[in-house]
Amino acid sequence: MSATTVIEQSPPTERPEKNYLNADHTLRSWIWTVDHKRIAVLYLISVTFMFFLGSIAAAVVRFELTSPWGQMLTSETYNKMFTAHGVIMVFFFIIPAIPAVLGNFLLPIMLGARDLAFPRINLLSWYLYVAGAALVLASLALGGIDAGWTFYTPLSSLYSNTQITLALVGIFLAGFSSILTGVNFIATTHKMRAPGLTWFKMPLFVWAHYATAIIMILGTPVVAMTLVLVIFERAFKFGIFSPELGGDPVLFQHLFWFYSHPAVYIMILPGMGVISELISCFSRRRVFGYEFVAFSSIAIAVIGFVVWGHHMFLSSQSVLQGILFSLLTFLVAIPSAIKIFNWTMTMYKGSVWFSTPMIYALGFMGLFVIGGLTGLHLGSLATDVHLTGTYFIVAHFHFVMVGGAIMAFLGGLHFWWPKMFGKMYSEFWGRLSAMVIFLGFNFTFFPQFMVGYLGMPRRYHFYYFAPEWQIYHILSSAGATILGIGFLMPAFYLTASLIKGPKASSNPWGAKGLEWEQTTSPPPTENFHHKPIVMDDPYDYDAIADNDDFRAHWGKEPVKYGGDN
Amino acid sequence: MAAHATTHPTNPDESEVYFQYEDIDQQQETYIVGMWTFIVQEIMFFGPLFLIYTLFRWKFQGGFYTYSQKLDYVLGGVNTMVLLFSSFTMALAVHYAQKKQTKEQLRCLGITLACGFGFLIIKAFEYADKFTHSLFPNNSFIWPPHGYEYLGGNPEHARLFFSLYFATTGLHGLHVVVGMICIASLMILTVRKAPTITDYVPTEIVGLYWHFVDLVWIFLYPLYYLIPK
Amino acid sequence: MAHVEHHHHGHHITPISVLIRTFIILVGLMVLTIVAAKAPYWFASLEPYRGLWVVTNAIALGIATIKAVFVVSEFMGVKYATNLIKVYAIGGFVWFFLLFIMFVDYASRPWEPVKGWENVPSSAFPRNKDNDAGTPFPQYPGEAKHGKDGH
Repeated sequence: MSATTVIEQSPPTERPEKNYLNADHTLRSWIWTVDHKRIAVLYLISVTFMFFLGSIAAAVVRFELTSPWGQMLTSETYNKMFTAHGVIMVFFFIIPAIPAVLGNFLLPIMLGARDLAFPRINLLSWYLYVAGAALVLASLALGGIDAGWTFYTPLSSLYSNTQITLALVGIFLAGFSSILTGVNFIATTHKMRAPGLTWFKMPLFVWAHYATAIIMILGTPVVAMTLVLVIFERAFKFGIFSPELGGDPVLFQHLFWFYSHPAVYIMILPGMGVISELISCFSRRRVFGYEFVAFSSIAIAVIGFVVWGHHMFLSSQSVLQGILFSLLTFLVAIPSAIKIFNWTMTMYKGSVWFSTPMIYALGFMGLFVIGGLTGLHLGSLATDVHLTGTYFIVAHFHFVMVGGAIMAFLGGLHFWWPKMFGKMYSEFWGRLSAMVIFLGFNFTFFPQFMVGYLGMPRRYHFYYFAPEWQIYHILSSAGATILGIGFLMPAFYLTASLIKGPKASSNPWGAKGLEWEQTTSPPPTENFHHKPIVMDDPYDYDAIADNDDFRAHWGKEPVKYGGDN
Repeated sequence: MAAHATTHPTNPDESEVYFQYEDIDQQQETYIVGMWTFIVQEIMFFGPLFLIYTLFRWKFQGGFYTYSQKLDYVLGGVNTMVLLFSSFTMALAVHYAQKKQTKEQLRCLGITLACGFGFLIIKAFEYADKFTHSLFPNNSFIWPPHGYEYLGGNPEHARLFFSLYFATTGLHGLHVVVGMICIASLMILTVRKAPTITDYVPTEIVGLYWHFVDLVWIFLYPLYYLIPK
Repeated sequence: MAHVEHHHHGHHITPISVLIRTFIILVGLMVLTIVAAKAPYWFASLEPYRGLWVVTNAIALGIATIKAVFVVSEFMGVKYATNLIKVYAIGGFVWFFLLFIMFVDYASRPWEPVKGWENVPSSAFPRNKDNDAGTPFPQYPGEAKHGKDGH
């Protein structure tokens, strides 16, 4: 359908009274909801809370490292702090952040469905997440955990006297929350698409989430079983992973990374889906090489399963296996690079609009490139011997996880915020926060590359043997302060927008896609007032002729911006 | 707000179509796809156990033969028989559900449930035997077990074998229990003629789960009970 | 039109005769697997076959795989299911074998590609099957009795 028919089919600009937010106001209607949009909001609140807790642990770690002598914390407390930071951020923030918040909210709408395939299982997965988070927080409150987020045996299974069992049960539950989300996404993508929505008309966001869901159902159960065996080993003295009992600790690492390496693609793939939407919308161009970007998601998901051994080059893995995994690791760079090149080509000759989400997206691209390329240093055998276990690796995965996944999450949140809550936030503060986060991030983690290359080991809370490294750590901690301020800003202005932000029209960005063109902001409980029929290709942005006019008026007169200007 | 089911006028089976689906066909197909996705997840869940087993069996082939002599392959074989039969009756139940012969369907489900109980009872006898010989891998694990002279093998690898045995059969047993709960719920809902259960797909889904449980045992039995020297 | 493609009225109903046949085959295969594994220990005349654990394992796992194929295709109905279900059912089993990539590690630990490394103890976890059945204590690498390695 052309743009005109879209406008004819669009609901009137006057928002109808009923939407998913005001359909019911009782607490009961929220905690027993089966509406995917409300569950997404529940997830948003929970992951933000966990992010806040994880950030506090990070702040303590950064503060401790400003001094070479480790004066503030004992070694045990420091171990518990970085473990708390890792466990909370990995299992309870980054993994669920984009799929469970944005994916939950948008997947059915982008597919033209009324809900996910299994709404009650979706609610169950939120409850599993909450139960898992509660257990992990309980384990922290009861004395903490000190084995690192990787829980390497035999420390985690025999020697550690901390609350590991409780934390492992919590992570197990969070894993099943993620598996159920994956089952839901796969069934929904296969069977709930609107009439006319063929696979190659789906937004790339959906492709990315489909690939993520594949990883969730194929990888997560492996780590779930591994953690069960560690629990048994702690509880009964089963002897699978501890050499004293006859087992093999490297086996644990194999099984752990069989999930946990694909898990980094669970973290980054949905972010890549978000970025595809943002780049295309704010360049007003079709995504360059749509099929390549779509299949690169699947390729990342598949190849991501056969590279896990690059975490174990120095774990007494055999040299042949090391060579094999190094080779396969280089392969996974290809689909990632395809994405970056295609986004760049999408912007080329596009009409780039530096709105808040776009600044986040550009930040993502810059930081992800650095994070990805330093990954190649770590993936090649010889340099990894020098770099593994240092701050280089810490900087590398923070560039990918924070600079990649969190930038994408925030970009997506700013992009779809008007759709989710029907309110516009302050564009000035939005752009400022994106730039402050970008700056603060680089200040925090770039010095870590340098100090890591010099040899600063990760998970140490002192470096009195090389006090000249203090300057890097102070730079890093100062940057972390800026980063923290940058993360706090959205918390304030986004909350403020809920209270006194101007109402958002159904399509404030002039974007393409079912969620913008065919429903209101916020959408009604049943997502659409009529069943959408898809005839357009995705990202049909060339049809928007009055782009300059649209942007010239955007934001100046709140009444004017809307889907039908 | 809640998943209120609405009766679809053109639905031939007169079972309810949930609000997120267009028609009964879409609902049924989505259920089956969802269940298969879940079974793929279950395969990967049991994956590490079989992998670890293969690794240590390959390392300690001779020892594993010695340790497996303490497992009763006759009781294991009876249990295999029980599970195969229950799988058969489950498949029959799906058959009758498709033909809407509710009485026969319930009878088949009842037999399947009874087989599940039988399996667990036999398993309980086997476990009790291991516990009395201190073959459960906890602090009081002993190899050679209580009441036996020197048997060969060594205590660490014996602990490994029995760890794997208890982990695999224990988690399999847990799946049997979950499957029995599902079958019992399905029977109760069928007896009550619950509107969500008038179609055959719920039976089919429970059946898929039950067959998967059987599938795990099909591999588990020769791997643990029939180890050659 | 995602769901309308498969708009078939009347799903496949597997006849009872097929189910019974499948069940009988499964029971037969189960008896066969027990006999194949245990017959050399029952009959003295079959004693020469007792040590062939590779063959016996292959038979046992082969029979188990055939049984699994029957359960999956007939009882679980994959034979009559849509292509999507077939892809997921087969894909699940195929993916499980990706785990076995780690055997490259365990199998190649005694082998090092660089000359001059032979004198280093080759592996922290060597395959040493003959120390296991008889001796009550494990033999660790670096300890004595490395007769065959000779260095």
